[in-house]
Amino acid sequence: MDILVGSVMSGLLIGMVLALVALGLTIIFGVMDIVNFAHGEFLMIGMYTGLLTAQATGMDPLFCLPVAAAVGFVLGVLCYGGFVKYLLRGPMIAQLLGTFGLMLVLRNLALLFFGSEDRALHHGLLVGKSFEIGMDIIISATKLAVAVMAVLSFCGVWLLMNRTKFGKALTATALNRQGARYMGIPTERMNALAWGIGGSTVTAAGALIVNFWSVTPYVGLIFTMIAFTVVALGGFGSVPGAFFAGLVVGFIMEIPGFWDFFTITFDIEWMSDVPMISFKYTWIYVAYFVIMLISPRGLFGWKQ
Amino acid sequence: MKESRKSLRRLSLAVLIAALLLPGALFAADEIKIGVLFPLTGGAASAGRELRAGAELATDIANNVMPDLSMTMAKNAGIKSLGGAKITLIFKDHEGNPTLGADLAKKLILDDKVHGLMGAYHSSVTKAVSGVAEQYGIPLINDSSTSPDLTQQGYKWFWRTTPHDVYFTKDLFEFLKGMTEGKVKGVKAVPKKDIVNIAAACDKTEWGAAVLELIEKFSADHKFKLKKSILYASKATDLSAEVRSLIAVKPDAMLFASYSSDAILMMKTLKDQKAAPKILWGQNAGFEVPEFLNTLGETTNGVLTRTIFIPKVAQTKPIAAKINAMFKAKTGNDLSGASARAFTGIQAWVHILEKAGSAKPEDIQKAANSIQIPAEELVVPWAGIKFATSGDDIGQNVLGSGLIAQYQKGKDGKMDMEIVYPFNLATANMIYPFPKF
Repeated sequence: MDILVGSVMSGLLIGMVLALVALGLTIIFGVMDIVNFAHGEFLMIGMYTGLLTAQATGMDPLFCLPVAAAVGFVLGVLCYGGFVKYLLRGPMIAQLLGTFGLMLVLRNLALLFFGSEDRALHHGLLVGKSFEIGMDIIISATKLAVAVMAVLSFCGVWLLMNRTKFGKALTATALNRQGARYMGIPTERMNALAWGIGGSTVTAAGALIVNFWSVTPYVGLIFTMIAFTVVALGGFGSVPGAFFAGLVVGFIMEIPGFWDFFTITFDIEWMSDVPMISFKYTWIYVAYFVIMLISPRGLFGWKQ
Repeated sequence: MKESRKSLRRLSLAVLIAALLLPGALFAADEIKIGVLFPLTGGAASAGRELRAGAELATDIANNVMPDLSMTMAKNAGIKSLGGAKITLIFKDHEGNPTLGADLAKKLILDDKVHGLMGAYHSSVTKAVSGVAEQYGIPLINDSSTSPDLTQQGYKWFWRTTPHDVYFTKDLFEFLKGMTEGKVKGVKAVPKKDIVNIAAACDKTEWGAAVLELIEKFSADHKFKLKKSILYASKATDLSAEVRSLIAVKPDAMLFASYSSDAILMMKTLKDQKAAPKILWGQNAGFEVPEFLNTLGETTNGVLTRTIFIPKVAQTKPIAAKINAMFKAKTGNDLSGASARAFTGIQAWVHILEKAGSAKPEDIQKAANSIQIPAEELVVPWAGIKFATSGDDIGQNVLGSGLIAQYQKGKDGKMDMEIVYPFNLATANMIYPFPKF
């Protein structure tokens, strides 16, 4: 039983963080129909920002989130103004290959500056702390704190998108660019802001994740894939969809845990021989494939 | 003016062609080039730094006269039988990537014209490199890869100085058996039922998979119950699902094979999830690099690891003490299993070249197959170095042996490593059961 509840809790907590990871991708896609392949690299930069800020200032890593968000915002706006703006004038393929190139550039810059060594946080208020909530269920304090902060950030962005004039302008741009321009909305600036917000949410997520995951310049790839799955499931362009789908993908990542639960509870010999855990990320790709096959628009998607 | 420029051009072309045609062997007398492939960046970079420092120290000793060291290679400056030729190491970083390793090996052979190769730590990379060495007929001495497969390929240009995982895993189960028989220093005989349940997690690489297979085999042979065995994605960023899966079977002993960053992550996750095994054992690699202890500090108290060298060996081996002191002066760290093995690898190279008296691959091959380096020469506590030339373990050093060491917090509060196996070499009472995190 403990492993079942443990897996559920773990899936829930990680799912909340994954939702924040995917949020930026869905906003950028929603506003300008561009798929950002460099999304995972933004996250990687957020992880390095969190890590280095914590190490340089001695500040607790949990509180490096604003720094990372600011870096992400600037990075996003710069990427848009200096690069993506020009891509948008080209054909679809140029946009795809363009952000793909951006991914390679960012990854290799990280290699150049940070080296390919793994880095991890070993100090901090909550690092390495955990507590038992009874029934042998252990919750990692960092993951809980990180999940809470992820949800708070998520709510913040949702409020920004739905309760402010600026958010309405952004939504208008997403729905009908030309119409929005006629209404006097500076769509160019909206695009830049979408990249800024997209960048800052994902770097914020990175600064949170670095509390319990180690970082290398290559870490982005797996997160890009996860973010794609989350966005595909939740629907491209949908903010609540990203949250819900993040939780689902969190559970998908815990499939090996559920498998263990059945194996142990019912003592099934053949099940214990299946090396489920060795394929823990496989299920994310399988899920992505299945979603694309049956519902390419996702659960809450309104854009095609 | 035009004429003279033309003739100058012709002359330089002729010189260039002549230089290209000159046989490489003509230069061999003053320099022996050994291409060394180590993971200098990536997940095992900390091990790579250790390996590099160990190899460099051995080269220093070989290239200079150091009269106060009782080692053959310290007596001459360079290789005496080659007219005092100095050894030059050309380091290449393979990042733990077999394809890159093979490419770099080719480059070393074709572009740098090395006389021999050494490396490559990761068994998977060593396997790829050994294929290249075999193809080009260039001798490769492997100092620190332990997948048993490597010496079972029947290669003629491959020699391995370190013992491999069959030795080490056998040691582990001998040790566990010894625990039930009361042979471990400071621990009363433990009823077998107390340590019978085992869970193992190994890195999904050539080496980790080989270790897991051996653990499966030996636990069956010795009637231990392997309740859970996991191959986890190498260079993992998160191991919480894996650790939950291990803890779920409530194992008495947890066994691991992980490279540097994974070993640290594994320990942190085990601590996070309050794992409570009675025995926690690591198959060397990540569990014995200095970074493991430096990062985790007292969390390591009670962790067992197989190794081939710890500073305590120096107490019984004066030569090891001297080399350890030199290494510490150079790097600030004690010799570890990794650095001691890289040191020994270069030492083997020096002895082989000395015996061969030639830099030709065929002569080196002949010398390697007939070399016998006595135990007194070595830093590591082996009976010597002698390579098998027949059987199904061709090129394997048959005189190597392993240790099992335990991280212990000393009376002065400092962490240290103590030998617990072989039982007759034990330097301290074993900490049992493993203290709770």
